[in-house]
Amino acid sequence: MKCSLRCHGSRISTLWALGVVLFITSLPGWIPDAEAIPAFARKYQVNCNVCHVRWPRLNPFGEQFLENGYQMPGTHDGGMVEKIRLGDVTLDDISNYIGFLFDVEPVTNSALRRDVTGAEDQTELANVALLRMFTAGTLTEDVGFLMDMTTLFSQSSDVELGRAFVSFNNIGGMNWGHVRIGRIDPSAYFSVATDRPQFFPLSPKIGPPFGPFGPSIQRWSQTFGSAAASKFYGIFDRNMAPIFPFAPTLYNSTVEAGIDLHGRPFGDWFLYQIGILNGAEERWGDTNNSKDWYVMTRFDYAQSDNFSANLSGFAYFGNHNTKVLGGADVSRSRYGVGARIRYRWLDLYGDYTIDRITDLPSGMSATFDDTATGVTVEAHAIVTDRLLLGVGYNHLDAGGVLSQRKSASFLSLQARYYLRSNIALQVRDEVNLRDAEGGTSPARNLRNQFITNVSIAF
Amino acid sequence: MMKVLCRIVFTLVGGLWVFWSSGTVEATSQPDKDVSAGAIIYERSCSVCHGISGKGDGPAAFYNSAYSASRARDFTVGNYKFRSTPSGSLPRDEDLFRTITNGVPGFMPSFSGLAVEQRWQVITYIKTFYPGFQEETPEAIQFDGNGSTIPATTESVQRGKALFQVMDCHSCHGAQARGAGPVAVAEELTDSSGLPISPNDLTNPTGWKNGTTARDIVRTLLTGLDGTPMPSYESQLAGHEDDAWHLANYLLSLSRQH
Repeated sequence: MKCSLRCHGSRISTLWALGVVLFITSLPGWIPDAEAIPAFARKYQVNCNVCHVRWPRLNPFGEQFLENGYQMPGTHDGGMVEKIRLGDVTLDDISNYIGFLFDVEPVTNSALRRDVTGAEDQTELANVALLRMFTAGTLTEDVGFLMDMTTLFSQSSDVELGRAFVSFNNIGGMNWGHVRIGRIDPSAYFSVATDRPQFFPLSPKIGPPFGPFGPSIQRWSQTFGSAAASKFYGIFDRNMAPIFPFAPTLYNSTVEAGIDLHGRPFGDWFLYQIGILNGAEERWGDTNNSKDWYVMTRFDYAQSDNFSANLSGFAYFGNHNTKVLGGADVSRSRYGVGARIRYRWLDLYGDYTIDRITDLPSGMSATFDDTATGVTVEAHAIVTDRLLLGVGYNHLDAGGVLSQRKSASFLSLQARYYLRSNIALQVRDEVNLRDAEGGTSPARNLRNQFITNVSIAF
Repeated sequence: MMKVLCRIVFTLVGGLWVFWSSGTVEATSQPDKDVSAGAIIYERSCSVCHGISGKGDGPAAFYNSAYSASRARDFTVGNYKFRSTPSGSLPRDEDLFRTITNGVPGFMPSFSGLAVEQRWQVITYIKTFYPGFQEETPEAIQFDGNGSTIPATTESVQRGKALFQVMDCHSCHGAQARGAGPVAVAEELTDSSGLPISPNDLTNPTGWKNGTTARDIVRTLLTGLDGTPMPSYESQLAGHEDDAWHLANYLLSLSRQH
């Protein structure tokens, strides 16, 4: 009986997912042709897919555009290079530098382990509605900028500043040095960039505790992947706010303050990156007074036959960037490899990371695992000009407080249908592969999650 | 240790800044016909779509048009859409320069960010992919007589409207010129690589790939767009080239109405 109860929610979610996928994949041909709209597409008068595998994932051309500081590959573009009087600026000029993303999750269903916590399965309507504004482009030749701000309507109407940086490109007129200064996403040039998920990540939802084992996880999205995740139970930022084990962090953070240098001094086959940050989870300022730093190298292969591949490796060295119970400073570091293969309709990528905590107080070593690993593997296929299907696997071998940490493995299935190249409907189902093992780890509470999503970029 | 590393990083960044601020160096001092300079530019700016060997099979080529036209140009077969030369001919250098400078709306961004000299250099290199460029000297179709255009009078527009029917433009572009003619609706149109292709919406010039001026339209009518179903009307319009200008005036009037 217990099993049938447990399985019931999963079945409903899976049926939901299959139904919506079938509906989306059978949408009739009355939908208008895809056209370009959003900011860079407006500025350069091209379709979104010139730069994206399918928005928001970048293709190799988009990656080169990004590497060159929002300039066409090999150019010093510049955009506005002449002095423009305010009176001469038109709405078209402004729209070339401003874009918006509206994202809403119409239906979210989470199947929970009611036998342990008594929690009910949850179906939420319009769980997340997000509006993000970004402004980006070039100020003059070889000087680029980006700033994005986000409002989550479902949580508050506060506006949160995301990335905000200036980039100085083609130092010396070559491709061997580009500098970003400000609030940056360090992994932007890695084989698997953390930001730009194909699906907007659901914010985590914490439920009642599993007895003495801490809060149960009732909702989160594997969008960022286990390799990018924090991985540790029972760690805190420098303000003693808990760090969620599944949130992206360190090199894979979506935004940190710092300086970053990257380039390709020996040609297209090799990219280096080195950077220094105030620290992990440092919202403003530098409470740490010491710095985190990282290095990354990436090797690219192939420039023909619609094929490309790359392999990356990085090391991120934390320096008293985290706290544990009791308030002691520890250092959290990360080492990782990633790879990506693209061939025509197939986009296959994955990364593996190892996180280590050093400088643990001596009394904690018996109750705290100082090592954690995560792996993410995903594949997307462009089935038609409008339809993208994806499958992903995430495994998190968590560290931290021994009484809480448990491995978690999730399988994700998703379909994304583009009404236009800038309007996407998506369904995603995430299955907890270790559900049958049971147990009382907070991560085992969530057995299955079904998410629908509508994204509009304009 | 960290302080030392910080100093190294900041010194490096500072040094790079000084170097950067001393002025960017562009490859403008090379002669226009410098193939090796063109190869360097091609590799960095063009190969990601057009492929390192010019076959149009770069790693980004597939995504823009996965299952429908238009893919990146294959430079090795000598088939070019945007020309001022007769159908079946190679383009002139000026045609290639115009495409690189203006881009192709929807599919290829403008590379006007390349210096003028760099654009000429990369054209020199692109031509090495097809031996025919060594043997042929393409000549432009002369279509503008003394260089003046025919004014877009009501009479000219009406004449163009009649020609739109007579020349059977509507079978592809549709009676309303929105790209929904019976042939298009039947999805019978493909390009030379076999990919489905849609006629342009002639009421929306932002999608016109070969330019939006009357002169651009006349050139398109006379040369056709090789590799696509859009034929050359050079023979039909021979002796009465004014009709091409009337048709251009009509098409431009459509976009002004919407």
